[in-house]
Amino acid sequence: MNIHSYEKIWLVVAILLIVGFISTVTYGATAVGIDMVDDEGGTVNASALDEDPRFSEPRVEQVGDNEYEAYVIAQQYIFNPDPIRVPANSTVTFFITSPDVIHGFEIVGTNANTMVIPGQVAKITVNFNDPGEYGIVCHEYCGSGHHTMEGSVVVQPEDEFEPGGDE
Amino acid sequence: MQDGRDMEEEQTVRELSHDEFDPNGTLALIAVYFVILLAMWVFMYFVEFLGNELTVVG
Amino acid sequence: MGSALETGTPSFVDRFPQEASVVKAALTSSFIALFLGAVFGLIQGLHRTDVFRFLDSQYYYTVLTAHGVLMVVSFTIFFLVGIFTWAVVRSLDRPVEDIRYTWAWYGLMVVGTLMAVVAILGGFVPSTELSADVLYTFYAPLQAHPLFYGGLAIFIIGTWLAGADWFRSWYAWKQEHPDERIPLQTFMVLTTMLMWYIATIGIAIAVVGFLLPWSLGLIESVNPLLTRTLFWFWGHPVVYFWLMPAYLLWYTVLPSISGGRLFSDPLARVVFVLFLLLSTPVGIHHQYVDPGIAEGFKLIAMTNTMFLLLPSLLTAFTVVASMEHGARQRGGSGLFGWLRALPWRNPAFTGMALAGLMFAAGGFSGMINAGMNINYLIHNTLWVPGHFHLTVGTAVALTFMAASYWLWPQLTNKPLFSRPIALTQTVVWFVGMALMSNAMHVMGLFGVPRRTAEPQYEGFEFVASFGSITELRMQLALGATLLFISTVLFVSNIALSTGSPTRTGLGQPLSKPLSPAADSPEVLDNLKLWFGIAMVLVVLAYMLPLASIVGDSGVIDRGVSAAPVMIDLLTGLNPVTAVTEAVSRLSVAIVGVVP
Repeated sequence: MNIHSYEKIWLVVAILLIVGFISTVTYGATAVGIDMVDDEGGTVNASALDEDPRFSEPRVEQVGDNEYEAYVIAQQYIFNPDPIRVPANSTVTFFITSPDVIHGFEIVGTNANTMVIPGQVAKITVNFNDPGEYGIVCHEYCGSGHHTMEGSVVVQPEDEFEPGGDE
Repeated sequence: MQDGRDMEEEQTVRELSHDEFDPNGTLALIAVYFVILLAMWVFMYFVEFLGNELTVVG
Repeated sequence: MGSALETGTPSFVDRFPQEASVVKAALTSSFIALFLGAVFGLIQGLHRTDVFRFLDSQYYYTVLTAHGVLMVVSFTIFFLVGIFTWAVVRSLDRPVEDIRYTWAWYGLMVVGTLMAVVAILGGFVPSTELSADVLYTFYAPLQAHPLFYGGLAIFIIGTWLAGADWFRSWYAWKQEHPDERIPLQTFMVLTTMLMWYIATIGIAIAVVGFLLPWSLGLIESVNPLLTRTLFWFWGHPVVYFWLMPAYLLWYTVLPSISGGRLFSDPLARVVFVLFLLLSTPVGIHHQYVDPGIAEGFKLIAMTNTMFLLLPSLLTAFTVVASMEHGARQRGGSGLFGWLRALPWRNPAFTGMALAGLMFAAGGFSGMINAGMNINYLIHNTLWVPGHFHLTVGTAVALTFMAASYWLWPQLTNKPLFSRPIALTQTVVWFVGMALMSNAMHVMGLFGVPRRTAEPQYEGFEFVASFGSITELRMQLALGATLLFISTVLFVSNIALSTGSPTRTGLGQPLSKPLSPAADSPEVLDNLKLWFGIAMVLVVLAYMLPLASIVGDSGVIDRGVSAAPVMIDLLTGLNPVTAVTEAVSRLSVAIVGVVP
């Protein structure tokens, strides 16, 4: 096959570029420890969330020293609980599901970003440092009121924080 | 209108065969593209992404 | 007309008048879809930036569905079937086997499109049950009217029959030319169609197996993760289905327009084979942040996706080298000086070259999308539509428009109405897209989501780390307006060309490749082999993920109920009134300005 030497050079360089991209992502996954949302959260009966031990009561609960779990329901067109209160300097694992259609869960301006699919439970773990407030936006179209679907995460100073549900 | 195009497209001043033609300009352009890609990738991954708050660790 | 009077090269319509009619019909359908899609695009661009709005925000999603479906299903695929018919007939140099069959698949595609479009536009009329506000991705359990799914299925069947038409032509040609290599354009069409047959398995199962019977009430529920995964099984290769006609034009038409020859025919074949192999086993990269799919499957999808960059990177070299060959034959010199020797005043050239340039930028944002964990940064933000408006919205769309300036006269024997307008149109598109896409990418990085009617939320504000969000919104709206103007210039230029005087000799011959097909191993033309390997790769990439989804939550998830998309009649402003009001307000404003 008659291939010009420049084309051969470019072929090799292009493959190196591709390998470089894959290596960067692998570095992020291993050395930095970025984990992908996966099937670890398990499944749930979307029409019976009120009978489910995890989601019957959307809440934030303490599970260890500085470790918390947040059970969140995304539904047309709210997040529950809202706001989600967590303490500063904590590790929070979010379990998020939907009783109706597909939603999105993005803590605005951050890398905490997942799809929410009825029947599936999305599980993401995030570290919160300083007190502050973040918006949450549903980033997947979920019906005619989609643009009103928002929530918030309030990171409270550790001494002010009380675990529990909304209000 | 049409004549303008005919003139423009018949401006071949020489014929170059495969062996007479080395795409030096293409190699240079694609090298520039490669450098841009690499720099942008590093910036996006290490500054925009890893430098951003709230990373999913589990 | 007497052949003695003819001058110049016979055009496509001179040689194949019946086929030219089909190609013209397909291209016309495509341009109608483009125009309507652009109208919805403008409404949308101005609405979500809050520059001008006349509809209640809940209708935004009807507009968005119409824009998406008309642009990426109707505009692109009607153009594809037109250009592929032209390419097969031209490169095999023989008419189609049965023109009635050709009209039949075109007719099916039209019927399917009309059904889907009626269902979508029904969303504007709240008093009917007709509605398909499910966006282009129609993720269950959002439910559209059965007409929408039915139309989609009929449209896809039309494309299958079209592919069979081209295979039939090739088969007939092969009987007469047993020892010849497949002509390059036909090779590109056939490999693309093989990829399409594999890809559409996913959507066929999703639509015919689940969504259509579900919307008819025959089955009670579906598994949203399963139908979503089947959608993306098709949803990524379809982007290459849009792109392959553009590649075909870049490889086989652009070199001639540049005054040169394709640098390498063998490499072009390798590229199309790579697309056949790698386009499908990558769809899970759209689901990097989906629950219910193991990280390992996502990693496999990423590896395949990254290697799918290879054929595009090779294309960049070969296509630019072919242009350089043209420039140097035209007297260009210097390391970069040859760029000035390219035919920049030819709209067909400039359109395709600018489209290619934008594709280089879109390629970069695509690399970010493809990176598994960096996807957290931009997933479902405005970055993503920013990306695909560079790829399908420019690399594909602008190439199609530019190619039309070159091809349309050869289909009609009528010169283009105005070349200066055509040239302006391509530049306006480029500038408009540069503005709009840049604004979208940047806003995406600040976390602004895609697919939403409102520019801001009540409980928080988007924070720009440079510039301001308002500035970016204005940039987006300005870009959208320029793109609309560009579309109007394109469509009216083509429409006005019907009034041009008929001429002969408008045919534009294509130059031969510098390195011909004979330089490549014959195995490249073994379509059965590549199809077989592609099938194996798809099975490897999808068998386990699909099995695990079905194992975890069933073929049908009984817990999930349908959510037909309903418009709230009480708060909704009736669109008919809204449009009349908007028109009267606009005309008052215009009358006020005009002395």
